Amino acid sequence: MPLLEVDNVVVGYGAGPDILTGLSLNIEEGTSYCIVGPNGAGKSTLLRCIAGFLPPRVGEVRLDGARMNGSRPDQMLAAGVCLVPQDASLFAGLTVKENLVMGGYLIEDRSLLHERLETVYETFPVLAERKTQHAGTLSGGEQQMVTLGRALMIEPRMVMIDEPSLGLAPMIADQIFEKITGFKDLGITVVLVEQNAVKGLETVDWGLVLDLGSLEFEGPADGILADPRIRDLYLGKAMTPREGA
Amino acid sequence: MQWVQILVLGLLLGGVYAMMASGLTLLFGVMRVVNLAHAAFILLAAYVTYTLFENLAMDPMVSLVVTMPLMFGLGVALYLILFPRLEASPRYVEMTVLLTFGLALIVEGMLTFVFTGIFRSVRPVYSSTAINLGEIFMPTSQFYASTISFGLLMVLWAVLRFTKTGTAIRATMQNRSAAQIVGVNVRRVSAISFGIGMALAGAAGSLLSFMFPFFPARHWQWVALLLALIVLGGMGSIKGAVIGALLLAIASAFVTDLFGPTWSPITFYLTLFLILMLKPEGLFGAKVRL
Repeated sequence: MPLLEVDNVVVGYGAGPDILTGLSLNIEEGTSYCIVGPNGAGKSTLLRCIAGFLPPRVGEVRLDGARMNGSRPDQMLAAGVCLVPQDASLFAGLTVKENLVMGGYLIEDRSLLHERLETVYETFPVLAERKTQHAGTLSGGEQQMVTLGRALMIEPRMVMIDEPSLGLAPMIADQIFEKITGFKDLGITVVLVEQNAVKGLETVDWGLVLDLGSLEFEGPADGILADPRIRDLYLGKAMTPREGA
Repeated sequence: MQWVQILVLGLLLGGVYAMMASGLTLLFGVMRVVNLAHAAFILLAAYVTYTLFENLAMDPMVSLVVTMPLMFGLGVALYLILFPRLEASPRYVEMTVLLTFGLALIVEGMLTFVFTGIFRSVRPVYSSTAINLGEIFMPTSQFYASTISFGLLMVLWAVLRFTKTGTAIRATMQNRSAAQIVGVNVRRVSAISFGIGMALAGAAGSLLSFMFPFFPARHWQWVALLLALIVLGGMGSIKGAVIGALLLAIASAFVTDLFGPTWSPITFYLTLFLILMLKPEGLFGAKVRL
């Protein structure tokens, strides 16, 4: 059974139009995915829907086969589904350490919390160096590291990361992608949304191509990268390697 | 020594103002709601205290154990019934201003219906005595009210600082979406915060009932004053609300002494105008975009 099933989901904001128009896909445990597609395809909306921020209008989201429609974000997180949103949503006025501790908000056991904190510091040594610094004073790349480290605090089964390289210099972005690759070794299923499709697909096992609110194509990431037809049709300019990338 | 006397009177009043303002600013910090009905609910609690005093001879300070839980429950219920359906609205802020304005009118109307528009006051024995410390005198009622207010502020601080719910409230005040990302149930936090804000309003009502005479429409004057306090401190900052309240209460005490009590309210409104023109985010507030 897949870890997560998205079954014929229709989603929109408020009274607005449907953004996802009957989207179905499966996420297998232990595989890493990258969702690519043009602007407005519904990539971020899909992540927000899975994380419980937007209830589906039609269709179902299932985790381990159990229907999750109507679950709140905190319930999805407790079930092991973690979202790292696009706007580095940090507590800017808190220190790096306090931000990480907040990441373990759902953990009741203090010694376990401390253990996790040490594990995160091992994975992200830069956070250990910066732990007493206010998160708002960090560079963009370091802030992204904090959000990733914070996500690790609850040892999630699945992490969905929205545009981790947004606004970062290519060299810094590479460091972030390296960390994301490392998530897989920790046994975490990764779902990535990335505007730099080449980088994103190089980082993962499986590619999901979204267009106009539904799944257009899926396949092994290296296959998509090699297929000129898909590159032209769905990825367009995003596939042209950027300068220095 | 006269200025010490004025300072003491200002501080006594400031303590009560600080408690009223922290309830209001807590709500704004957590929910981005300016509760225009805050003072109306304070008055509601004052009338509950009045009723208990007149009928059961309950001391107004004892009636806190009635008004605080009562207002907490009312706050949680009102939040859950009225606010979640507005959340999806793109005009959330405007809607909540209209909603709380409507609530203020409803409370005022009901109070006028039940208690009529005449002045009421609660007069326990200590309402006409004073405590003398050498040359400094303190009205007993204000001393009691202020002591209880500071005590409740300490409790609020401890709850926010040391409890799990308190952590969730502070996280939500800092960054609502980040709080949601780390698993804070922001709807629950909002309901509890509304309850806490209302419980503080309840306590304020019980204390005001024996400090000042009141009538149902009095709340407009109070809410204007409270808004001045929290704008000075920085909206959404509890520390700011407390310091703003103490500063303005002391300032108005000095203005009263120099120019007479007629000029005391102008202290608040003038400060409000100046702050909005010169430093709109207040002394301790973060810059907020609505």
